[in-house]
Amino acid sequence: MNFWEYVSTRHQQLLTDAFQHVSAVFQCMVLATVLGVVIAVLSYRSSWGGSLAITSTAMILTIPSLAAIGLLIPLVGLGVPPTVIILTLYGLLPVVRNAIVGLRGVDPSLVDAAKGIGMSRTARLCKVELPLAWPPILTGIRVSTQMLMGIAAIAAYASGPGLGNEIFRGLASLGSANAINQVLAGTLGIVVLALLFDAAYVLLGRLTIPRGIRV
Amino acid sequence: MTPSHQAPPKGARPPGEHDVGGHAFRDEEAEPSPPSPGPPRRITWKKLVLVPAVLTVVLVATYLWITHVELDSIARNSLAGDIVEVRWWQHVRLTAISTFWVLIIAIPLGIALTRPGLKKAAPGVTVIANIGQATPAIGLLALLVIWLGIGPSTAIIGMVIYAVLPVLSNTVAGLNSIEPTLVEASRGIGMSAMGTLTKVELPLAVPLILAGVRTALVLNVGTATLATFGGGGGLGDLITSGIQTQRMPVLILGSVLTVVLALLVDWLASLVELWLTPRGLEEA
Repeated sequence: MNFWEYVSTRHQQLLTDAFQHVSAVFQCMVLATVLGVVIAVLSYRSSWGGSLAITSTAMILTIPSLAAIGLLIPLVGLGVPPTVIILTLYGLLPVVRNAIVGLRGVDPSLVDAAKGIGMSRTARLCKVELPLAWPPILTGIRVSTQMLMGIAAIAAYASGPGLGNEIFRGLASLGSANAINQVLAGTLGIVVLALLFDAAYVLLGRLTIPRGIRV
Repeated sequence: MTPSHQAPPKGARPPGEHDVGGHAFRDEEAEPSPPSPGPPRRITWKKLVLVPAVLTVVLVATYLWITHVELDSIARNSLAGDIVEVRWWQHVRLTAISTFWVLIIAIPLGIALTRPGLKKAAPGVTVIANIGQATPAIGLLALLVIWLGIGPSTAIIGMVIYAVLPVLSNTVAGLNSIEPTLVEASRGIGMSAMGTLTKVELPLAVPLILAGVRTALVLNVGTATLATFGGGGGLGDLITSGIQTQRMPVLILGSVLTVVLALLVDWLASLVELWLTPRGLEEA
């Protein structure tokens, strides 16, 4: 059976896996973005808080994902819970870092001007600072998503959802005729999905980055 | 330094100045003033001690726990003899060898891609590298295992392919970010292309290159845990056998050791980074 025959006979299974992969990554990414921006907003004003947030999230990223999954299994069991926790935690770092850098990079005179025309602290944050910091935050989200696509594949080992299962099925049946098809389908599927995600972010950037600061 | 003969009441001048008829003058410095120690090296006590101390505590606690916890025969078998030690050193070896090859491949390639002749190829390489980045490490490793068979060398090849990218892109970025006037100046004073590269360009690019190397090292410690899926050994073996046999002590031991190794490697790399960065480029 060649690769194309394999894909056409198994497309149901593959599509389900692909959908679960995307949906897991997407949902965790939304969660990580919200958490990351909140952490950044709370900490970017103090140099101490900001560096604490960056150092601690960087440390999480240093930990190999398989080891982190291993540490979570005794606590939350197998399956979806460790996958969601891992993906969200690892997705945080680039968002937190870029959001802090972005928020700190906002020209203070603009914030002053906003204050001068009577905007409240919340309005300044939502209408001036966050829109200006949005491009670097979006870059952080892109970097995170790329990384999460690969980590989600590893999480399949802890019975997580997604295309990683295809890869591990292939590894488990090394030598069988379908091993290479399964691994290829899983790997290429993830590559294609990652590239699609990236294209979607470019589009999202065109739609959401204020026209005034678009480059 | 304020000359000792200066009258105390006129000490209103800051050190290094004297006053003549109410005007401030700089003291003539016969010898270069106090052998300026420069800004202190950024390797501080805190940096040297904190991480290893925490990691030692974690290791000791894990050791005490694993020697006192109730282990059944399956768990005991998974940890029998010096298997933990063997796996640790396998992991270190996988990381070290793959990082070595990454350096050998990525830095010269990065240099070549910034030379005038090959500069045109750079965007193409970037595109390939970006697609490579989108490839999941486990998928790449699984494909290599199918093509090349199981064993540590397959794992190392996979790790090298995976970690070349950050070093390569940082080398290119580091060399491209150098101000062209500096390169022109060094060519202008008669340095050869080679001399310019080794004496001007590379030292200036060192911080970025080192940051890439550190990223690659940490990546490699992580990817080495996946070597177990290709029969490459390493600490990943403990984690997977813990998951498969559902023996939490084995799983936790493997995971904790991997985490400790990753943080240790990152810490060592950060020290090397500080140590190798040219003094002139240290931020004040």
